[in-house]
Formats: sequence, C-alpha cells, structure tokens
Amino acid sequence: MSELRELSPGRLAWLRFRRHRLAMIAAGVLVVLYLLAMFCEFMSPYTPQQRNARAINAPPMDIRFFDAEGQFHLRPFVYDLELTINPDTWMREYEENTSIAYPIRFFARGEPYEFWGLFEADRHLFSVDPDGSGYIHWFGTDSLGRDMYSRVLYGARVSLSIGVVGVGLTLFLGVLLGGFAGYLGGMFDSAVQRMTEVLQSIPTLPLWMALSAALPAAWSPITTYFGVTIILSLFGWTTLARQVRGRFLAMREEDFVIAARLIGANDTRVIFRHMLPSFTSHIITTATLAVPAMILGETALSFLGIGLRAPVVSWGVLLQQAQNYQVIVMTPWLLLPGAFIVITVIAFNLLGDGLRDAADPYSSLREQ
Amino acid sequence: MSEILTVTDLCKSFSDQPVVNSVSFGVRESTTLGIVGESGSGKTTLVRSILRAIDPDSGTVRYNSRKGWQDLHSLSPKELLPLRREIQMIFQDPFASLNPRMTVQAILEEPLIIHGIGDKESRKQRVAAMLEKVQLEPSSASRFPHAFSGGQRQRIGIARALILEPRLVICDESVSALDVSVQAQILDLLASLQSELGLTYLFVAHDLRVVREFCDEVLVMYAGNVVEQGPVEEVFNNPQHDYTRLLLSAIPSPDPDEKLEPLARDGLQLEKV
Repeated sequence: MSELRELSPGRLAWLRFRRHRLAMIAAGVLVVLYLLAMFCEFMSPYTPQQRNARAINAPPMDIRFFDAEGQFHLRPFVYDLELTINPDTWMREYEENTSIAYPIRFFARGEPYEFWGLFEADRHLFSVDPDGSGYIHWFGTDSLGRDMYSRVLYGARVSLSIGVVGVGLTLFLGVLLGGFAGYLGGMFDSAVQRMTEVLQSIPTLPLWMALSAALPAAWSPITTYFGVTIILSLFGWTTLARQVRGRFLAMREEDFVIAARLIGANDTRVIFRHMLPSFTSHIITTATLAVPAMILGETALSFLGIGLRAPVVSWGVLLQQAQNYQVIVMTPWLLLPGAFIVITVIAFNLLGDGLRDAADPYSSLREQ
Repeated sequence: MSEILTVTDLCKSFSDQPVVNSVSFGVRESTTLGIVGESGSGKTTLVRSILRAIDPDSGTVRYNSRKGWQDLHSLSPKELLPLRREIQMIFQDPFASLNPRMTVQAILEEPLIIHGIGDKESRKQRVAAMLEKVQLEPSSASRFPHAFSGGQRQRIGIARALILEPRLVICDESVSALDVSVQAQILDLLASLQSELGLTYLFVAHDLRVVREFCDEVLVMYAGNVVEQGPVEEVFNNPQHDYTRLLLSAIPSPDPDEKLEPLARDGLQLEKV
C-alpha cells in the first residue's frame, strides 16, 4: 500500500468503509442479488412462464444429500412429489415420494431462452435431468405451477433495476435543479423551492396511483416499466435537490471556491471541478438510501395492480398473488418475494449507513 | 516608484449597513501596504471588492496593469481574465482555501491550465520550481492537502497565488491563523519572495506588531472608514487618531513585568460618518 499521506480522500473513505462490517456484508448481499438478477435466465432452472401441471401450488422441495435410508449422496437430489386430494377438505396435498429421486445436474440443458436478447442458449446453472420426467421447485410453485424461484429471479431483474434507474433519474433531476438553484439563486431558486414544497406536500401514494392510472393500458410492458420509473423519480428528486441546493449555497462562499474563481475559473469549472466533487460522497450516500424507497414504490404500485402488470414479473407483481389470507394459510411460500424485498431494503439501508459513516470525516470510525 | 493600484471612494453596504464607507488609497509598486483594524471593520470586504469577489456599491478601483491603467469594475469577465494573472490572493484559513479533493500538483497546475500556460511537461516543471521556491519538498506534489500542517498548507496557498507570476498579491490575514513561530517563517518567505520577484503586497492584518515589521505603509480602518494612513513608522510613533492610539496601546509587550493598560474605549470620540 502506498504511504498513508499520499492517499486520496476517496481512498481514506474506502478504508473507513471496509471497517464497517455490517455494511460490508450488506454490500456482499447486494452484489449477489444483483448478479442473480443480471443473469437470471442462466441462474434460474425454468423460465418464468413455464408451467408444471404436475406441481400446482407445490410447496418448496427440500434439497437433500441423505436419502430415506440415511445414505449419503455426493450429488444433491430432490424427491418426487406425490399429489393427494384430501377427501375431507378437498385440498391438494403433496407428499414426498421417496422411491423416485431427481438428482440435481449443474449446467444442465433445459428450457431454451434468449440471453439478454442477444443469443439463444439452453444451459441453466442447475436443473434436473432434462428428459421431462423430473422437476425441481425449491421455492415451491404458484397456482399455475410456475416455479417461484425462477419467477423471483426474473422479478428481481425488474424490481432491482427500477431502483437503480429511478435513482439515476432522481439524481440527475435533483443535482441539476438543486445545483442551479443554489448557484444561481434569485428567481430560479425561488421557483425550484416552491415547486419542491408543492411536490412534498402531496401525499405520494394517491398521486402515484393517479399518474399510474393515466398510463395507457395499451402500452407494452417495457414502456410501462419506464413510465413507472419516471413517475417514481418525478417525485423523488425534491429531497436531493434541497440538499444539493443547501450545499451549493454554503460552498459558494468557501475559500477554495472563491480561490478558484480568483484564479479565473469559469462557472462550469468551479461547479464541476470544485463544488460537485466535494460532495459526491454525500450524493452517493443519499442515492443508496433512496434506492429502497424506489423499490418499495414500484412494489406498492404493482401490488395494488396499478404499476406493472402480468405478464411482466416483478416482486410487486408476484406479491399480488399473495393478497388474500388463503395464501398465508395454504401456500405461504408465495410470500417469498416479500422476504427478498425486506432483505434488499435492509441491505441498502445498511450499505447507505456505512457509506455515510465512511464519507463523513468526523465519524467515530475515523482513523486517529 | 509609481502607483500600481488606486482605490477611490469605494463603498459597500450589506442590508443598508455600510461596511466599507468611501475608502480611498493608493499602493506603490513593490511596497507593502498594511490594512489594520478590528474584526468587522471592513478589511476583508474591502480587499474582496478590489478583487471583484464582491461587487461594491460605488467607487472605482484602478489598476496599473502591464498594459496600462484599467478600471477593474468596468471590465467584462473576459477582459478581466488576463488581469487575474496579475492580481492574486493568499487566504486566511489554510485549511479552507485548498480543495481537499485535489492533489497539490492539481491545485498548483490549475491556474496554469486556466490561463493556457505551457504544456503538460512544462507545467510540471513550473510546479516543481514553485514548490522549491516556497520551501516544500518536490514529493509534496502527489499528496493531498490533508497530509500537510497549517504552515505547509499556507505555503501551498502562496505557491498557488504566485505561480501565475502576479504583480499584486493580496494577503487577507494570511498569517493570523498560524502560530507565532510559523508566522515568522511565512513572513520571512513572503519578504524574500517580494525582494526576489518585486511583488506588491496588500497586507490585511489585525496584529499590529506584524504590520510594523512587515509593511511600508499602513491604513487604519474603523467601522468601514479609513481613520489614518501613512508610512508605518510615522503612524506608529505619532498616531494622530484616537482609534490608532487605542490599537497601539493594546499591543502586548514582551516584557512580562509591564502591565497592559489599553486606553478606555468609552473616552474615545470616534466620529461616525
């Protein structure tokens, strides 16, 4: 490692961040989640719309290393599920049939898919023998026999990316409007301030609902996706704009900014070389903490049926199936997307906390 | 020696409170003019309006540039740019005046880039030469400001101001944030740079001993007004104004047995304009 005194403030912040254990774990969890979402076609054993008529509302299958006789197998396997109809309740009940085992194959051939719309492939990270007789649903299936694990991964792609795309747009609007308001002041500042106040005083959920309802039903899933993202960010930028404005106002009078002006730097140079870099860390932190709000926004809208709609798969859309209490009693595994939402939101908040502590030179973790 | 800067009737108020009230003075080339006064007497506002970091309400600031006399406040930003090379400033707080995100190399190079001086290689050489001039190690260039002490940072600030080879340097309380031994080093450095480069200093301070040692002429400000001005020895030995006498009487003596008895302030008849 280079000498401590030659380290940039960014490197020092990274050193501080690395000592924040929870935030590091959260970062690891998020990396895994985003990798799963990015490569969901490969990571999932099935495609999201593929139905298994032999396993409808099937519970999660246990992945086993020991068989019914207690013998160890190096290759994990699942037992076949046997369907019985309970004669009293007329409910479908599944029981493991220990006479038929489906060994898990890695990099197995399965349902063909188009990877990122670029090329055709049919390899999946794991699956069972592709002869069609076996199946593996370790998160269970829904009422149409679709594999929940595959659907959660495909849903992750939409839900997780909407957070990032939405926050990107929020950042753009917030930094631009807040920055100009703070730097120019005057009329523009007042206009932005009043707009912020109006937007912040409107309860978000009804407003989102109204705007989402205005999205034409004929739009394709991808257009709706961007429509929802834009709606979410149009109301998310206000907080960030205020913070950026405040920082600009304060920083305009900082000695090093005045110094830059006195050596003849023009406004663009002052803003982009001197003012913005000194609070990028702050912006990154705010952005990290804003992602879960975006994800929750999308989930809420989709859950209420006014955001994304089937056949698009997102965590909110998946949770729509879990809207009645029957689910909680009879097929609780349909709530699994909710667990993913909780984990993601917590991870983002912990990561944001860690980043904030690392970026703040006065935090308790500071090296003495 | 000819004058390099003439300020006439400069006025600036903040929310109807006059902070600088009709100040006029001139500075001769290669000399040092001290501006003294208590906190809030308008010293900083005065020098910042000379630099156009603040827009004054009225008055003129005329500067004798290499291309003749120019009225600084009637110039467009574009016309002002070449003059920025000639007038530079050294700040009070060595911790706030350097961008924490830039290396010393980037900080010192920036003025050269803005004014389009030299290519990458020659700029590097100039930075190295400048660092040597302010007695910093050449290896400092790759470091960030947080790695330096207050005195070293102030040297970086001086290097940034001088790298454009200015003629007039405004020192806004440039040594008052430093402790006494470092103060002396920085003052020595400024003095040797002055004799080497023929600089003119506008030296804002509230420490009268520093002014007495360092300046040729002095301007005493009180509540936005100039109450007395003249050569340092004259003003210090024979103060004409009550406020100057009050300031002088407040200088602590190095002799521990001598009691400090500043004049009572209430008895002063300070004319408010």
